[in-house]
Amino acid sequence: MVSSTAVGFLASDFPPDVGEFFTPALFGADGWLTKFTLFLWIGTALIIVFFLVAYRSPKLVPSKSQWMAESVYGFARDGIATPMIGHDGVKFAPYFATLFSFILLTNLWAIIPLVQISPNSHIAFPVILALISYFLFIVVGVRKHGFFKWLKITVVPSAPWYILPLVIPIEFFSSLIVRPITLSVRLFANMFAGHMILLVFTLGGFALFGAQTFLLKPVGILSWVMAIALTFLEALVILLQAYVFVVLTASYISGALAEEH
Amino acid sequence: MAGDIPPQRPRKGDDMAGGTNKGYLALSYLIGGIVVWGFVGWLIDHYVHTKGIATAIGVVIGAAGGVYLLIRRMGS
Repeated sequence: MVSSTAVGFLASDFPPDVGEFFTPALFGADGWLTKFTLFLWIGTALIIVFFLVAYRSPKLVPSKSQWMAESVYGFARDGIATPMIGHDGVKFAPYFATLFSFILLTNLWAIIPLVQISPNSHIAFPVILALISYFLFIVVGVRKHGFFKWLKITVVPSAPWYILPLVIPIEFFSSLIVRPITLSVRLFANMFAGHMILLVFTLGGFALFGAQTFLLKPVGILSWVMAIALTFLEALVILLQAYVFVVLTASYISGALAEEH
Repeated sequence: MAGDIPPQRPRKGDDMAGGTNKGYLALSYLIGGIVVWGFVGWLIDHYVHTKGIATAIGVVIGAAGGVYLLIRRMGS
């Protein structure tokens, strides 16, 4: 263990633990305002302001910010919604674009210097996002087919009648119980693990650099180099997880809209 | 406006996302089968006091059901 004073402003001991994810309160009598709340707000505000500014006076030849906003929406529409759901997918494109930019930006806090923690590394945020997608694909399916037909499409696979009692509970479990769980846990676990890895290499660098043995100091520097390299890897994970979350939502919606499978 | 964006080439990432989707579906069928019927077997064990036999049968049947669904969905 390294004492807190050696690590200085990071104020952490070397083997990082789950406590790292409970940042000290910034404001309020009961500490309701934390780093998580703050950067969630800032992220949301940034998205709203960006899209408002970008579309304030849309031009035929777009300005740079308008081009960026259109790329995000165009990606959600032509890259995800239309290929996965088909023509009906266009009406879900605004939701996908919102979901994608929200997850991307809140994830991005994980590698922005001095913030370096993502709200999505607390499971509550991914759970709410997954529940929104979960209710969306259920409601969409029920509205399209009616409750019983939707239930039949979702839960009853095409199989001979004597196998149905065996497979219906499995299909039910797989499509209505596991989906929201995997959707949220995947995002949460990636952000949690990413933060943990960066902590291990950064704090490990301090621990090695501060070690009594002189020979360990270069290893400490190597550890920091690794932390920087892993930050770039984390950038990839951030983008990928935002994309995967939206693509899976799209895939569930397309499954709910499909006639039969 | 956004409608002016030219159609984009299919992205390489789409295959990857489709693969991710299939992978998780396969996983949820295999684990789901074992968990659901294993749980039913466990309940039977618990109330009939059969000491694990029903759980074992449930797990095997559930695994079979999961594999069946998997083949049905992805085999062709």
